Amino acid sequence: MAGRELVMGGGNCEPSSSTNPLGALANALIGSSSTKEKLQEIPTSTTRPSDGSYFAGEPLSVLPGSEFDHPQQLHSQGSAFLQGFHAGDQNGLSDAWNEIQRPQVPYGAGGISNFPMERTQLPPTVDGPPQRVLSSFLHSFINSSHGGIPFHPARLPMLGLSQGDKQCVRDRASIMARHFFADKNEDFINGQVNSLLSSLDIDNDVRAAGFMPGRSREMEEYWNESQALKPHNPADGWISEFSQHQNTYGGPDSWVQSFEREHGANGWASEFERGQNQLVAMNQMGGVNIPNLALMEQTRMLANTLAQNNDPKFQNSKFFQFMSKMSQGELTIEDDQIKQAVSVPGDWATEYQHQYNGGQAWADQFAHEEITRGPAGWANEFATEHAIGTSNDEWVNEFSKLHVNDDWAEEFGRQVAEGTLDDNTADNWASAYDDYLNEQVSLKQESAKSRGVYEFSEFNPYVGHPNPLKEGQELFRKGLLSEAVLALEAEVLKNPENAEGWRLLGITHAENDDDQQAIAAMMRAHEADSTNLEVLLSLGVSHTNELEQPTALKYLYGWLRHHPKYGTFAAQQEPESLYHADVAGLFNDAAKMSPDDADIHIVLGVLYNLSREYDRAIESFKRALELKPRDYSLWNKLGATQANSIQSADAISAYQKALDLKPNYVRAWANMGISYANQGMYEDSIRYYVRALAMNPKADNAWQYLRISLSCASRNDMVEACDSRNLDVLQKEFPL
Amino acid sequence: MSSSNQEQQMKSDTIMEQMKLHLATEEGKKLTKKIGLVYQINVAPKKIGFNEVCYVVDLKKGEVKKGKYEDGKPDATFSFTDDDFVKVSTGKMNPQMAFMRGAMKIKGSISAAQKFTPDIFPKPSKL
Repeated sequence: MAGRELVMGGGNCEPSSSTNPLGALANALIGSSSTKEKLQEIPTSTTRPSDGSYFAGEPLSVLPGSEFDHPQQLHSQGSAFLQGFHAGDQNGLSDAWNEIQRPQVPYGAGGISNFPMERTQLPPTVDGPPQRVLSSFLHSFINSSHGGIPFHPARLPMLGLSQGDKQCVRDRASIMARHFFADKNEDFINGQVNSLLSSLDIDNDVRAAGFMPGRSREMEEYWNESQALKPHNPADGWISEFSQHQNTYGGPDSWVQSFEREHGANGWASEFERGQNQLVAMNQMGGVNIPNLALMEQTRMLANTLAQNNDPKFQNSKFFQFMSKMSQGELTIEDDQIKQAVSVPGDWATEYQHQYNGGQAWADQFAHEEITRGPAGWANEFATEHAIGTSNDEWVNEFSKLHVNDDWAEEFGRQVAEGTLDDNTADNWASAYDDYLNEQVSLKQESAKSRGVYEFSEFNPYVGHPNPLKEGQELFRKGLLSEAVLALEAEVLKNPENAEGWRLLGITHAENDDDQQAIAAMMRAHEADSTNLEVLLSLGVSHTNELEQPTALKYLYGWLRHHPKYGTFAAQQEPESLYHADVAGLFNDAAKMSPDDADIHIVLGVLYNLSREYDRAIESFKRALELKPRDYSLWNKLGATQANSIQSADAISAYQKALDLKPNYVRAWANMGISYANQGMYEDSIRYYVRALAMNPKADNAWQYLRISLSCASRNDMVEACDSRNLDVLQKEFPL
Repeated sequence: MSSSNQEQQMKSDTIMEQMKLHLATEEGKKLTKKIGLVYQINVAPKKIGFNEVCYVVDLKKGEVKKGKYEDGKPDATFSFTDDDFVKVSTGKMNPQMAFMRGAMKIKGSISAAQKFTPDIFPKPSKL
C-alpha cells in the first residue's frame, strides 16, 4: 500500500503545479531557492501573474479536496493505526475553525481521545485572501528555520487547497525542510513538516515523493534542471524506478509487499510515520497517553514484522491477531493488564484473557515474557524521562531516542533465540524476524540467496534421471552450463551429501557468473567434505570476488592447512585472527619448496588480489599459466586481475584466450563487458553483456552492468528491454 | 600489507583503490573533465556515522584520497555503510533507492549529488 501511495503521490504533483494558482504560489514559495532571501524582503511576496483570474474556478467556501474528503488509502495494519491519528489530528484543527460542519468521530485508538492544540504561537497573518494567508504562513515556516525552533501548528482559515496543491506543498515542504534543517535530525525535520502540513490540513498519509535533501542554494537549479531534462515531472522518474522494481519482483502484489517490507522499520517511510506520531504527541504534551502511543508504535512494528511470516497457521494465530489489534490501538495495556479500547466491538480481548489464564500457549508465554516486562517498563521509563524534559527541542530528542524501535525488537529477538519460547511457532517467528532483519540491510532480491542458502530451480527435467551426476559432468564438459546446473541440482537433491556434486555445481555457477549461488553450493560441498582443496580454493576465490577479505583469507589458509604436502607450513590449530602478510608468507615458503606446482601460484595470485598487490598477482598467475597453459579459468583470473589494476587492454586479450579454450565461459564474457565499459567503450560492453546473459539470464551482475552501459551509451531506448529482461530484443539490437 | 589490519578490511577500499587507478586512465580523465566536482564519501563498517572511514573522490583533480577533504568544502558528502557503498557503486542499488531506504545520507549540493551515479566507478572483474 505504502508504495502505491508513494507513486501516486508523486504523480499527482505536476498538474497542480502548473495549472492551479495556489499550487504555483506554494511552488514559488517553498520550491524555489533564492526564496529564503527574497521572501524576507517582500513578506507577502506573490508570484501572481497579472491576469487576476485566480479564484475564478474556485469559490472560497466550497473547497475541492478540503479536509473532509480526504481519501484514506490506508489498509495495512500500520496505516490503520496512523489513520487514527489523522482523524484525531484533524479533529483538533477543524474544531478550531469549523466545528459545525464536521461530525465528531468516535475515537477508538488507545484512549487518545482529545488533542489539546498548542495555541501559543500564531502565524503572522491569518486573515485576508487565501493566497496571502498561505504566503505568510509559509514564511513563518521558513523563518522557523533560523532558530531551529520547532514550528507549531497553527490555526488557519480554509484555504481551498486542492488535493494537487496539497501534494505539492507537502512534497516541496519535505524537500525544503531538509535544506533548512540540514543540521537537525530526521525526527525534528519530520516534526516541522508535519506541523506545517497539519496546519494546512494536508494529509501526510501519502508519503512525499522523491525528495532529495541538500542546501537551498542548489534547489532551484536542481529543480529546473530536472524539469528541463526530463519530459515529465521528476516524480515520474521515481515512478519508473518503482515500476522497474515491480518488474523485478514479478507482480504488483509482491512488489507492494516487498516495498512495505523494505520500509518496515528503518525505512524512510517509517521515519515519516514516526514524525507523525511526534506531531500527535506534541499536540498533547503532558497527556497521559504517550506511553500508549509509544506502545502502539512498538507493537505496530512487531505486527508488521510478524505479518511477513507467510505461514497461514501463524497468520491465524491468536498471538498475531493480538499484536495486530494492539498495534491498531484496539487493545491497550494499563497496569500490565490488557484492556480493550472502548469503542472497539468484538470479544477478542475476552478470548485473549481467557488464553492468558489458559496455560501453555505460546502467546501466553509471550505475554509473560514481554508484555509484563517490556513495554510496561518501557512506558514507565518514558514517563520518567518525559517528566524531566522541558523545552520542546529536548522533548523531541527524547521522544526520538525512546522511539527507537529496534532495541525493543532486538530484545524480543534475543529472547526468542534463547529459547524462552519453545514450540514451532517460535521458530517460525524467529526465522521471520531474521528475514526481516536481513531485508533491512540487503536488497530484497538478494535476501533469498544471501549467505549460503542454495536456491534450486523450480522445474527440473533431470529430477528422476538415473545418473544426474554423470549427465551434469558431461554437460559441464560441453560447456552447457545452465543445463549442467539443472543436472547437478538433481544430483544433490538425490544425494545431498555428495561433495563432488555440490563442488561441480559450485564451479558451474562460478563459470556462469553467479557467485552467490556458487558460494552457497560450495558451502554445502564444504560441509560434506571439509578438507577438499578445490572446494577451499573456490570458496576463497568467490569470497575474493565478493570483496570479503577475512572470509576469503580463512579459506585460502584452510587450503594450505589441509594440503598433504604444505600442511606442515600451517599451524596445527587455526589461529584466531589471520593476517594477510603472514598467510602470504607461508605460501611463498611453499612456492619456494615446489616452484613447479601451479596450484601454489594460483592461490598466491588470489591472495595478492585480496591485498590489491596486483602486479604480484599477475606475476603469480603468469607463472601458473606457464605450467598450465590450457586452464581457461586461469586465463580469466589473469584477465580479471589485469582489469582490476586497470590494464584493460591486456585483460581483454587474456579473456580472449579463456574464451578460445571455453567458448561458453559466461564469466569471461561478462568480464569482457566490464573491461570495455571501464574503458568507456560502452557499445562494445553492451554486446558482451548481452552475450553473457544470452547464455545465463540469471547472471544478475551482468544485468546491472548492462543497464549502466545502456545509459552511458545513451541507449535509454533499450533500458526497458533490459529491465524486463527481454533478451530477444537485446540480442537483435546488439549482436556480437 | 594494506589489508592486514582487521579494522581496515573494508570492501570499499578495493573500489576506491580501483577508482584511483581508473582516474589515471584516458577514460578517467574524461570523467574528471565531465564532472569536475569533489565528493567526500564516508563509509562506516556497520552503521552510518560510526567508525567512519572518509574518502575524497576529487573529480576536479582526478584523485582519490583517504581522509577528509581539506581544501574547503566538498561539493557533496555521502555517508554509507560499507556494504551499501559497494552496492551503489556496482549498480546493485541505485542511489535514489539507497537514499529512500536510508542507506545513503547526503550533505551538500543537490546538483552535485545528482551527478553521483554508479557509472563513475569502475566495475570490479571476477576471478
